[in-house]
Amino acid sequence: MIIKDLNHNSLLKENSKLDLEALNLGSFPKRKEERWKYTPLRSLKKINFHNQFNFKIEHLNSLGIPKIEGLVIVLENGKFNSSLSNIIDLMDIELLFLNDGNIVNNSQEPSHKDYFTNLNFSFLTEKVVLKIKPNIVNNSQEPSHKDYFTNLNFSFLTEKVVLKIKPNVTINEPINFVNIISDDNCISNTQFNIDIYENSKLHIRQYFLGSSNSKDGFINHRNQVSLKSQSSLTIDKFQDLNQNFNFCNEFIDQEQESKFIMNTFSASGIILRNDVFNNVNGKNCHSELNGVFAPIEKQHFDNHTTINHFVADCKSFENYKGVIKESGVGVFNGKVIVHQDAQKIEAFQKNNNILLDDESKIYSKPELEIYADDVRCSHGSTTGRFDEEALFYLRSRGISVKKSLELMTLGFINEVIEKSNDSAYKEFVLKRLLKD
Amino acid sequence: MSELLIEIKDLECNIDNQKILQGLNLKINKGEVHAIMGPNGSGKSTLSSVLAGNDNYEVTNGSINFLGEEISEMSPEERSWKGMFLAFQYPVEIPGVSNINFLRTALNERNKYFGIDSIPAKDFLKMVAEKSELVGLNNKLKNRSVNEGFSGGEKKRNEIFQMAMLDPKLSILDETDSGLDIDALKIVANGVNKLKSSENATVVITHYQRLLDYIVPDFVHVLHEGKIIKSGDKSLALELEKKGYDWLKTDENI
Repeated sequence: MIIKDLNHNSLLKENSKLDLEALNLGSFPKRKEERWKYTPLRSLKKINFHNQFNFKIEHLNSLGIPKIEGLVIVLENGKFNSSLSNIIDLMDIELLFLNDGNIVNNSQEPSHKDYFTNLNFSFLTEKVVLKIKPNIVNNSQEPSHKDYFTNLNFSFLTEKVVLKIKPNVTINEPINFVNIISDDNCISNTQFNIDIYENSKLHIRQYFLGSSNSKDGFINHRNQVSLKSQSSLTIDKFQDLNQNFNFCNEFIDQEQESKFIMNTFSASGIILRNDVFNNVNGKNCHSELNGVFAPIEKQHFDNHTTINHFVADCKSFENYKGVIKESGVGVFNGKVIVHQDAQKIEAFQKNNNILLDDESKIYSKPELEIYADDVRCSHGSTTGRFDEEALFYLRSRGISVKKSLELMTLGFINEVIEKSNDSAYKEFVLKRLLKD
Repeated sequence: MSELLIEIKDLECNIDNQKILQGLNLKINKGEVHAIMGPNGSGKSTLSSVLAGNDNYEVTNGSINFLGEEISEMSPEERSWKGMFLAFQYPVEIPGVSNINFLRTALNERNKYFGIDSIPAKDFLKMVAEKSELVGLNNKLKNRSVNEGFSGGEKKRNEIFQMAMLDPKLSILDETDSGLDIDALKIVANGVNKLKSSENATVVITHYQRLLDYIVPDFVHVLHEGKIIKSGDKSLALELEKKGYDWLKTDENI
């Protein structure tokens, strides 16, 4: 993988003088590594990426997504696109954009009107960006820090959005984060930090989109989520990359009595890879990871999850459904680790897959590591085809083969789709997953 | 003069290279009720599957003419659009698909075939209310997944409910009486009778005469080794109930 023309960003300008090896990114993942065993990266490796930061999209609706209301943050080709965004002033939310030393801050705190505070923030921006790197290197507990794509992300970061919600606030309207790739061979290294303070509640919708006329673009994204005690966050994540790539590294830290739910819907892309690391550090937490992935035509969708139960009295749930057809490939590797002294944990993990034809593949690996002795845990995986009898039954009622398979697919994934309570969003996601 | 609905001629069919139907002939006119009886393994359920278009069965000879059209190569969905309906002996469970969504899809697919607009939600729900009353189908079952967790009786009622919704020309009831208690049997039979008209016909496939007390047939046929070996009126069913099938086999020198 070669990255060139990285000269439009002050941070990148420094780094662009170095080649990837010198940046200490680690070796490019190979299939002999367990974490990459089922996901070959040949197609990604051969691309020569650039980053020109072109804005090409004029309206969000040209991307086939329904109208998005409320606060909308749009990044395009790795950079904040203010004309597509809708940065409304939401009380109690602080929003920071860290790119090129510019800062946008919509918080109502009086200090933001203060010249010296603004000056301070502007100055701080660069500091924050630069400070991130040592943090990562130091935090050696997490295995992913040696991960090539995390290192790539930090080294070539083009945009970072930080969203903070103050304590004791509930915001019901979802906040929208749209990350678009619209330029051929463009690489976008982006980050989204979400800090939910004590006793606050937020709902975020993330859209990762590839415009239908772009190809071989790559969004290498990182979500960093911090949930303080008694807080709650739901993320609905939708991936529709068309002929582009999207990797997401996601780190979630939970303090006591917090609740985290993430629903990942993967509709299209050459390779989609999600690496979720959910660290449960406080008691009485609820963690929930759900997903539907529907690769077709040699698309390759990979979901890796790790839930770390460090302390007692927590519950976690995982439910991933794969619908794979026309030589599509799915990967599910879920790991739940119940550490010593993390007693009374209830952890349930399941992955069910439907293969619609002989050419499609799924690699499913549910894992449980338990070092405590008083826990309730289960994990399981099923893979099968649709029942021929059921297909005949539907057809005998006048429902065509295509529509029958669609109905049965719907029946199969409904359990996960139902997690979202917005009917317009559900309908849209379903449509894209069913490739209707 | 009654109008011909379906004519089956010299029908032969195989499953896994085993001959099941061996030259079956049957004519059904509009407005008629036919009962097909016969011992286990005589080919009764095969006949219903073949008529509905199950492609596990291979038609090797003969013809099925339905409303003037040869249908033995036609897909199950197309047969349904033209008015064929099979009430399954073992209705299939379809997890996650609600009964209502299933039926709306079925009606809309047929409308699409005939170039008619989708049925408006209001009209559809009205129709559901009307037709489910016919078989006393519990309101809750309509929103549940198709046949999932239904009792045996509920499944059979659901079949007749679907029949009412689709309003077919030819309904084949494959052992609809199996697994039904007397009360449920009466309700189901009552539903079928109400749907009877001079425009449609019903084929009742059964082991026992009991169902025919409630759905009274115009003709009774006895199927044996893939052929109809005797036809008669409803008194034939009573005779079979008394004497079994063996006398017929000797009678017909089989």
